[in-house]
Amino acid sequence: MEQASLRDLNEPLIDHAEGQFFLNEAFKIIMEEVLSNGTDVKQKVCEWKEPEELALLLDLGVRETGEPRDKLLQRVRDVAKYSVKTSHPHFFNQQYGGVDYHSLAGRFLTEALNTNLFTYEAAPVFVLMENEVLRGLRQLVGWTEGDGIFCPGGSTSNMYAMNLARYQRFPEVKSQGVWALPRLSIFTSPESHYSVKKGAAFLGIGLDNVIFVKVDDRGRLIPEDLDEKIELSKSQGAVPFLVSCMSGTTVQGVFDPLDHIADICDKHKLWMHVDACWGGSVLFSKKHRHLMKGVDRANSVAWNPHKMLVAGLQCSALLLKDTTNLLKQCHSANATYLFQQDKFYDVNLDIGDKSVQCSRKVDCLKLWLMWKAVGSMGLEERVDKAFIHARYLVEQMKKREGFQLLSMVAPVIKERMMKQGTMMVGYQPLGNKVNFFRVTVFSPLLSQKDMDFFLDEIERLGKDL
Amino acid sequence: IIDNIPLNGPTVNVLASENFIHQSMSIIVENAIKKATDVREKVCEWRSPEQLKELLDLELRDGGESESEILQRFKDAIRYSVKTTHPHFFNQLYAGMEPYSMVASFIIEALKPSLYTYEVAPVFTLAEEAVLKKMMELIGWKDGGDGIFNAGGSMSNMYAVNLARYRCCPDIKENGLSAAPRLVMFTSQECHYSISKAAALLGIGTKNVYAIPSDERGKMIPSALEEQILSAKSEGAVPFMVNATAGTTVLGAFDPIDVIADICEKHNLWLHVDACWGGAALVSSKHKHLLKGIHRADSVAWNPHKMLMACLQCSAFMVRDKTSLLQRCHSARASYLFQQDKFYDVSYDTGDKSVQCSRKPDAFKIWLMWKALGSKELEQRVDRALAMARYLAEEIKKREGFRLLMEVAPVIKERMMKKGSMMVGYQPHGEKANFFRMIIISPQVSRQDMDFVLDEINNLGKDL
Repeated sequence: MEQASLRDLNEPLIDHAEGQFFLNEAFKIIMEEVLSNGTDVKQKVCEWKEPEELALLLDLGVRETGEPRDKLLQRVRDVAKYSVKTSHPHFFNQQYGGVDYHSLAGRFLTEALNTNLFTYEAAPVFVLMENEVLRGLRQLVGWTEGDGIFCPGGSTSNMYAMNLARYQRFPEVKSQGVWALPRLSIFTSPESHYSVKKGAAFLGIGLDNVIFVKVDDRGRLIPEDLDEKIELSKSQGAVPFLVSCMSGTTVQGVFDPLDHIADICDKHKLWMHVDACWGGSVLFSKKHRHLMKGVDRANSVAWNPHKMLVAGLQCSALLLKDTTNLLKQCHSANATYLFQQDKFYDVNLDIGDKSVQCSRKVDCLKLWLMWKAVGSMGLEERVDKAFIHARYLVEQMKKREGFQLLSMVAPVIKERMMKQGTMMVGYQPLGNKVNFFRVTVFSPLLSQKDMDFFLDEIERLGKDL
Repeated sequence: IIDNIPLNGPTVNVLASENFIHQSMSIIVENAIKKATDVREKVCEWRSPEQLKELLDLELRDGGESESEILQRFKDAIRYSVKTTHPHFFNQLYAGMEPYSMVASFIIEALKPSLYTYEVAPVFTLAEEAVLKKMMELIGWKDGGDGIFNAGGSMSNMYAVNLARYRCCPDIKENGLSAAPRLVMFTSQECHYSISKAAALLGIGTKNVYAIPSDERGKMIPSALEEQILSAKSEGAVPFMVNATAGTTVLGAFDPIDVIADICEKHNLWLHVDACWGGAALVSSKHKHLLKGIHRADSVAWNPHKMLMACLQCSAFMVRDKTSLLQRCHSARASYLFQQDKFYDVSYDTGDKSVQCSRKPDAFKIWLMWKALGSKELEQRVDRALAMARYLAEEIKKREGFRLLMEVAPVIKERMMKKGSMMVGYQPHGEKANFFRMIIISPQVSRQDMDFVLDEINNLGKDL
């Protein structure tokens, strides 16, 4: 019985010609639906359908047999049609809108080459490239040396910082666990990203040990309160070890006063982590980098080029000032099937053990290609332009009546914009403020017209409210 | 114009950009797809790190570059990268080219969605749900369960540890581990190293991971597991979880899940099955017996980006639970994403099940592929891969000199890399000296390629 199946082993099983034809045809659809129509201001941002209706339309169930090419190409069209066009000029919903064609090409190539970054032998080009990109980012932070890695998202970057801070202070935690330690405490502002909380829970530190520091009326962390809270925590028998502050908060885009915070971290000898996932890109701009003055005094910085730089999800860097190989020591497991020490090249290039991941995607190519294409000056221009758009929007809003109170109006306007597909803007409550819209503006496709459109459209959608 | 910056039009010239994309795509198809899968071409174009740095000119500068320069860089990146889709790439637990999954990847890259809410990613939310449902069916959970796709199997394993300890002591989420007794987990000595990394990251500590010895085939010895559980209890520690591996990283061994499940039930321990590699056997009626008992697991990790050839990353974590455990364990309920006053059913918002915020719709890569090929084709591929491996094993037995490798392996490896003829990984294992580990996945691989591997090793090592 075995021999019969062995006969089949003489030839490859699949016919690449068919696969490549499908790829070509599908690519044409992607170009048309996602890149042309998807960025066309005359087209919808989204084609809203209720979940049950959409599930039926898409015919999601997988079956025993495959499908013919035409049906599959129609599926590609359907997926494009019913997906949100995040590159559309009127997609203001999240912090990753817009499109850059160089990073897009980099992303397509990343997928086609399909590999992991753990060793030089598996990904020689990309191991070297990631190193160079991290160096470039560190330079903007103000560090001539250091370490770093790309993570699957800013939440992971923040978690890494937390883990490193803990390990540096108490290296025994790696083998003995949290039981070998006193109770630890973390300090952050209530405006910080929720990944600080998720990280504390995940790492076994506990949500209750995340202490929230007061913010001023603009949403900036108050350093004096940080100092007080640290003293209080110590007096309660805990060991403060980390301050996680923000350069560009999620909802209001606020920048914490890093220099003052650094003073306090120095005083108490705490690890200072700056979550600059959103705001880090201001470091490209001579005009706006002052917002992050003092960042070079931090121990670690998280920065997501997939946000303001439009590199495409995911592209999240964790940058470290450390030069003692802390990252590797903290995370290594020395697996012998990957990190043999008798390799024929310098095994320091095998960066896999710096990560808690095993397989890890190549996230640097998209950023590198874009950076090469437009240069640091090109990226600076984009950041500056984004700020100008935002300023213009604020000025226009002040001029228009009725743009103050939103309350219960926001969810209704949101529903209408989704169902009509004209634009996407997120809303949320904040502290004791009611629902309000949060507009993120930085795509290089945007122009003043789009800002005007946003204001006009909100008025139009909410006319009767 | 404000601050010398013109605001009236987009910065980007859309037409020129589309042209650029077309050209890059042609280069990708020609070099990264056609040539890369051509057995007559090299698997890799080896350069030393210093040489490669010079060739690539990686430095980032103030000024940009012309389109033709960028396209040349594109070509260079492809040229010097390893062709993991090449029929002679056997180095890792992923290989080959799956065009339907690649198309799915391209769609994802073009749309660049994040999967935290239904509103921003309606199609992908539903596709993930459909794939998880099917995978849980194959595991054998009649009532279904819950699940999520993660950034890799290591993360899936971490989720298992986190959920297991949360179920055991839910207060840990708020109070941290200091408030809990010393927790201990068990895994085979052959397990993936992510278990150790998980213990370190989650604050449990690597010394609280008890490694159970395995037999000569690499399978966990259940009686040893029982012993160590009792031993841990006598130390005053609290056993909370067992990790069984279905398809170990080096030997491809399958732990005896059914027997291990008996032990877990007896001691009320969470059973997680790391089937990142071996889960693929579940699509094969001939080979799924290797995972007999998996339906008794509390959680399963399974990576379609391995043997099923979905594009990296594609890793599923599934839990046999209907009490929203995943959500309860991980949620932080951020109000800027998970508003409760939305106009659609917010149970479709999966974001709070994850510890990630932005998350790629990786399930779509296996969904489109599965739709295109059907379960029967996937089954055929898995059966074929295993038959191919069996053929190779038989051939090795017939050939002399294929026993001892030791210091020979690194030299042969160096030679194959520099020649670019193939890629096979080697490693030591326990007391065994270095040996080559052949991974057979791609349906493009045929018997000639197996013969080639053996001939090539012979050729490369002739003088040793």
